[in-house]
Amino acid sequence: MRTKTAERLRSAILAYLVIAVSLCFFIMPMLWIIYTSFRTQASIFTGEIVSALKEYTLENYATVLMVTDFPAYFLNSIQIALSVTALSLVCAILGAYGLSRFRIKGKNLMIIGIFSTQMFPQVMLIIPIYLIIFSLYLLDKVPGVVLAQMILVLPFQVWMLKGYFDNIPMDLDEAATIDGCSILQRLVYVILPVAAPGIMVAAFYSFVVSWGDYLIVSIVSQSQRTATVTLIIARLTASLLVRWGQVAAATVLTIVPTIILFSFVQNQLVAGLTAGAVKEE
Amino acid sequence: MKEQRKGLPLILPTLLIMGLFTVYPLLDGLRMAFTNQNLLRDTWKYVGFQNFVRLFHDEVFWLSLYQSLILVTVVVVLQFVLGLVLAWAMSQKLPGMGVFKSVIMASWVIPVAATVTMFKFMAQPDVGFFNIVLRGLGLGHVARYWLGDPNLALPFIMMMHLWRNVPFYGVAFLAAMQAIPSSLYEAAEIDGANAWQRFIHVTLPGIRSMIMVMVTIHVLWTFNNFDFVYLATGGGPVNRTYVLPVFVYRQSWESYNLGYAASIGTVMLVILMIYFIVYIRIYERGVVAR
Repeated sequence: MRTKTAERLRSAILAYLVIAVSLCFFIMPMLWIIYTSFRTQASIFTGEIVSALKEYTLENYATVLMVTDFPAYFLNSIQIALSVTALSLVCAILGAYGLSRFRIKGKNLMIIGIFSTQMFPQVMLIIPIYLIIFSLYLLDKVPGVVLAQMILVLPFQVWMLKGYFDNIPMDLDEAATIDGCSILQRLVYVILPVAAPGIMVAAFYSFVVSWGDYLIVSIVSQSQRTATVTLIIARLTASLLVRWGQVAAATVLTIVPTIILFSFVQNQLVAGLTAGAVKEE
Repeated sequence: MKEQRKGLPLILPTLLIMGLFTVYPLLDGLRMAFTNQNLLRDTWKYVGFQNFVRLFHDEVFWLSLYQSLILVTVVVVLQFVLGLVLAWAMSQKLPGMGVFKSVIMASWVIPVAATVTMFKFMAQPDVGFFNIVLRGLGLGHVARYWLGDPNLALPFIMMMHLWRNVPFYGVAFLAAMQAIPSSLYEAAEIDGANAWQRFIHVTLPGIRSMIMVMVTIHVLWTFNNFDFVYLATGGGPVNRTYVLPVFVYRQSWESYNLGYAASIGTVMLVILMIYFIVYIRIYERGVVAR
């Protein structure tokens, strides 16, 4: 019995050690950038960790929000990410429902096909995609960015939602069919309410991926009209004399929306992301 | 038959988008690999295997290939091991664990561009956090711009990959561990298995399919990832962080050699397909062995 207690204690100490190191490594960089965003340029350049109280300021945020074009990029990002989320959700819900509930010729091939597109190098796909977007007259337009970004999120969403729908008993569908529901009514009134947590995660996933995309935006966007926050923070750090206080403020503003959304879905996130992986158990 | 006609329209939007924006671009990219297409020229012609011959003699290509393979191998192996350690720690029922589990995945949801900015700032020679700490520890002589050192830039980029993805591994492995029936652990304990043996013989086989999924997703993601390296170093210093996706991007959008860029992309695709064939073989053998 005593060895058992000793083993428990050893595990607990070791576990807390892992947790402490993880907290330092995974959380500290975010705290540091938040901290920096409230410091003056002068105090950042002292190379000290702590500075006098008067060296803390909201000036960086004021400059980023009032003087620079950051708010315009922020709105672009919001517009693009919301559009990608809405469009991809509609496509993925319909597609996953079709693949989960109907006997379709070549279904397995479609599933493998949709998923294996994840393997294609995006840096190569973007070349023809650029030419397609160009010939559709959608270069430097929001719909062009949105359409191109769909390929980043759709395969995973379909795979994930299909996993979710597969776990919903068929009896529910059958009961609704007997009640005279059409296919779309079945989907909207029976499946969607049950799958709501999965759909939330799918929506979160596509918002975050679209918000964080750099590759597609850097090609399809050509001006301030469609440039996003990721593009602008990358550009800020590339300049010669970097105003780190402002960069930090812009970075914090870029991170905040994703963290807020994350706080809503964190409990469902992993179950949702791995729904396709655990269903066969 | 009736069911089939009803099901197809539901999948159609997805198939159309994927067809137009991935299948067609893939085929067009493969075609382009055999042309001298250039973004600045209107005319182009087929040049056979000329691009691939050029590739074969291109030092930067071989360096990028080598560095891509090193990056993927080191990053995925470390993510797997550290993810297991993290999952084990989180599986201990201890006070405060719930809060920890809910915040730890934050690094995964923020944009890569923001991650790179944060780490680039911390790597700065004069004002960077790492160097401030090193000086504080009296190790001022090792302080440097970490992304500017030819030998340390790639390891630094690997660290950013770990920062982003290890928590995801940890939380996913934890979810799989919790699905293992506790009767298996009890049986192992009765058989006299110690903690380490239980981990090897019960936990690892129990989360096998999750390991397969996570490793596959991340081999693809890391091999194809472009923004970590491009935004952190652009491939430098002296090409020592050049990886294949960055090579493709710079060839197409900075040198405008679409044909040559597409041929590098083709090589990337072939490498991933080889990985998949080997992987499926191993997976099937594992299933049979069980």
